[in-house]
Amino acid sequence: MASKRQQEYRAQHKRYKEDVAKEGKPFFPYAIYHDTIMSLVVVVVIIGLAVIWKYTADGTEAGMLGPLYEAKADPGTTNFVPRPDWFFYFLFYLLRIFKWPETVVLGTVGIPTLLLVLLMTLPFYDRRPERAVLRRPVAFVAAILVVISMGVLTWKGATAKESLGSETLSLVPGWAEQEGFAGNPVAVEGAGLFAESGCLNCHVYLGAGAQNLGAPDLSAEGAKGRGIEWQVAHLKNPSSKTPGSQMPSFASLGEENLIKIATFLEASKGPVK
Amino acid sequence: MAKSARQAQIEKAALYPLDWTEERTGLVGYTKWFLFRHVPRDVNWMQTLGAATLTAFLVQAITGVFLAMYYKPDPNSAYESIQNISNEVTLGWLVRGMHKWGASLFIILMFLHMARTFLFGAYKYPRELNWVIGVLLLVAGMAEGFTGYLLPWDQTAYWATVVGININATAPFAGPFIAQFLQGGAQIGPDTLAKFYSLHMLVIPGGIMAMIGLHMYLVLRLGVTSPPWSKTAAGRPRPDAEPTGDRTGLTREPSSEETS
Repeated sequence: MASKRQQEYRAQHKRYKEDVAKEGKPFFPYAIYHDTIMSLVVVVVIIGLAVIWKYTADGTEAGMLGPLYEAKADPGTTNFVPRPDWFFYFLFYLLRIFKWPETVVLGTVGIPTLLLVLLMTLPFYDRRPERAVLRRPVAFVAAILVVISMGVLTWKGATAKESLGSETLSLVPGWAEQEGFAGNPVAVEGAGLFAESGCLNCHVYLGAGAQNLGAPDLSAEGAKGRGIEWQVAHLKNPSSKTPGSQMPSFASLGEENLIKIATFLEASKGPVK
Repeated sequence: MAKSARQAQIEKAALYPLDWTEERTGLVGYTKWFLFRHVPRDVNWMQTLGAATLTAFLVQAITGVFLAMYYKPDPNSAYESIQNISNEVTLGWLVRGMHKWGASLFIILMFLHMARTFLFGAYKYPRELNWVIGVLLLVAGMAEGFTGYLLPWDQTAYWATVVGININATAPFAGPFIAQFLQGGAQIGPDTLAKFYSLHMLVIPGGIMAMIGLHMYLVLRLGVTSPPWSKTAAGRPRPDAEPTGDRTGLTREPSSEETS
């Protein structure tokens, strides 16, 4: 026995077929005309993007649409901040919300899987025959919320200050000028190492970088008067100087490089006016 | 008279190959049915998004075939082959650029096509399974994005894949196995690249093509919906109190009595 809803659905689809047969228009040439125009637009847009990409970029030099390729993969580097393709940015940013060990599985697997299952089974729990969107308020509001949150997460992922080492390196001359250590070559070199070594994944420096795991803003670190020795010891073993610190050891960079970074930090007394 | 007989002869000769094929395959009839089948008269521009998505996929398939002729899936030469395609091969830059940007467009169009289907409530009876296939296509498309991202073997490609595989590894139960399968070794290397290449150009596209076939079969079988706001939507409720001939007579009776 078909339920009342099933009977209603079947009757509706029967009427649909009758109406299409009686009042419909042939696919060729009417609908296929619009499909063809739309397909041509798609191909033209793709070619346009390819041309802009090629003619504004040069090898690893980024153009309007980024570089043609980055430097060759090097499993030895530890300071390269990974970036997924843009359509994974929402996932990438979700991971930053759930970055603690106990909840990370929610961000990586839990929430995405749940949303995917809800999406796939939509026709099986949204069973009313109503199709007009304004008479489907729950579905409408849920869809708007999903679109907004995906959009916000994608936007946050795209603009995350957790930038690539090569990108932050270009900020160094500006830092030297603003902080007034341009005349100190060791500090400038240290700033370069600081930019490349992934420090900005947690710390903020003159507005660049991500505030993660409670890491402090280092724009005026030198004003604290801790001294180069303290800085080097801290870089080697952070929790020996600030108990409970989440920061990993950077001893692998080598004494010489650590002194350069320490010099840079001590030279950072805050922006000069 | 003679002229028309000649005309008929020419017509017959011209149509002979079609008749020959039709007799042996029935494909001419199917094509005619496909082209001249009716669609609701109020179909909307938004309903071209499916065709647009298909076009983006075909662009990916065709440019992918050409890229595969020049790309070398091996860590020692992958990066150099990408440089070669971008800088040396005739129009290689165009084919690679179209493949790279076509991927983004394909994903965007899939989302828009899905949004249209949602807006129209077109996933409801009898089209539930086509919605499920569509979601699977979206997942497969994103898997193409993930596996294709490693192939240029540059820093972004490498480190994004490191993170991607680590994310897979955090899944409960199957996670570590999936991660180990994808990576294929102690670290991301030749085995990973070969595996991603095979998934990217054989396994997933094969699945996508099969699912697109099924998706389109169901579209042809079930038809496309009218926009729900259309006054003349196909399948609209019939006006229920439409008087029939008999009833007209019955309702008129009293008035005729009055006049007499």
